[in-house]
Amino acid sequence: MLWTVAGLSAIPFALAGEVFMLGLGLASLLVALATCLLAIGVLWRRRRARRWVIAVEITSLVGSLILLLLPIGANHGPVALMTNLALPIAVILLLHKQRESFS
Amino acid sequence: MFNIAPDHAIGLYFGLLALPLALIAIRLRPARHLVPGTVLAASVLMAMSGAIHLGLIGTHREETITALLFLFNGVAYILLSVAFTWRWWRPASAGLLVATLLGYLGYIALGFDSPDQVAVATKLLELTALGLVLVPVRGESRRRTMRWASLAVALPALTLITASTVWIVDLARPADAQHAHAGALLQATNEVATPEQNSAAARLYAETKAAILKYQDPKVAYAAGYRPGGPSNMPSSHWMNQRYVDAGYVMDPHRPQGLVYANTKHGPVLLGAMFQMKRIGQFGPDPGGPLTAWHQHENICVTPVGLEFSLMTPFATCPLGAIDVSVPPMLHVWIVDNPGGPFAVDIDEGVVKSIDRA
Repeated sequence: MLWTVAGLSAIPFALAGEVFMLGLGLASLLVALATCLLAIGVLWRRRRARRWVIAVEITSLVGSLILLLLPIGANHGPVALMTNLALPIAVILLLHKQRESFS
Repeated sequence: MFNIAPDHAIGLYFGLLALPLALIAIRLRPARHLVPGTVLAASVLMAMSGAIHLGLIGTHREETITALLFLFNGVAYILLSVAFTWRWWRPASAGLLVATLLGYLGYIALGFDSPDQVAVATKLLELTALGLVLVPVRGESRRRTMRWASLAVALPALTLITASTVWIVDLARPADAQHAHAGALLQATNEVATPEQNSAAARLYAETKAAILKYQDPKVAYAAGYRPGGPSNMPSSHWMNQRYVDAGYVMDPHRPQGLVYANTKHGPVLLGAMFQMKRIGQFGPDPGGPLTAWHQHENICVTPVGLEFSLMTPFATCPLGAIDVSVPPMLHVWIVDNPGGPFAVDIDEGVVKSIDRA
């Protein structure tokens, strides 16, 4: 859902002339679709979906940590910390604990 | 939207405090084994949201209706977070979460409050909790179709409505006058310029204009070390001089860190200069008071591909491949007639178009 919001947020800027933003927006919407399918896979207890979700969340977490640590003025507010750190950590921990219930 | 309102900060502490307490409370209840993990997770999130609402009562005592709504909401969330084995727990929780979300959106749309980090974080908690309440897990057979439909349509729609409303309200009615320009923080100054500030601004304008007129020929600017940035299909481009940026000259009319050119069909046309400070949050000298206030672009999503940008969403996300950055304070000096003034944050689009047509 957050990827969907991020993808749609690029569209007004693409319409205003930032053409590359259109591509990034569409790519974000595709990622949103992929994460949605992975979530369904996790609900159906598919082992491969669980692995993919953990990999995606670890990648997101590492990327977010790099951005938070670099002195580029990235947002460090509670919402950014929740979205970029707390949410991936929670997903990784929950899926890690329930390993045996996936087939 | 990216600030924490002083009277809301306490809510954040209450919410954080509620997290370990809710986790401990759930571990102490044997009934936890009777419900899926998603229900327990939703209970914890609702307990946090309830604690945030209860925490806000103290700082909103003078707004009786708001305080009562916080009380009702907080108590209802806490009760539902405890009663997760109740037969009607799902419809009651979903109803409360949706009502709270829509109620808040109505509240900010009507101008009773401005969105801030505590509010958006709470809405994020509530949206996540709603997803967990609705999601049917394996083994559950009750109302699966309806819950899948809600999860696939209603939840994404509610998320988009929440994000758009918060964003539109924030852009239309910024919480403070310093954020009057979208994505930019203006330097705090006095409201009306004094005669001394008027003459200082006029002096700065005259000196800068005289110093940069030579750059009307882009070749001279290029030879001086200025390089165009961003796509050339945009109405205007900033040409930056990295040597001057690194040297950290402060508002030196002879060494502005950037030049702004209109991208016309006849080639680049000089619009003005841009002074930039070295560090984020370090505003430069302000001789003209409100006339020469610096501005700092915050929370913008920049893509390394083509150096394009968008604004970060209320949920602190950027499109894939774009990164969230803030840039040090800057001050523009426009040497062409700009309706917003010679030191305005932006050049008027109409001015650039008329130059292009000329």
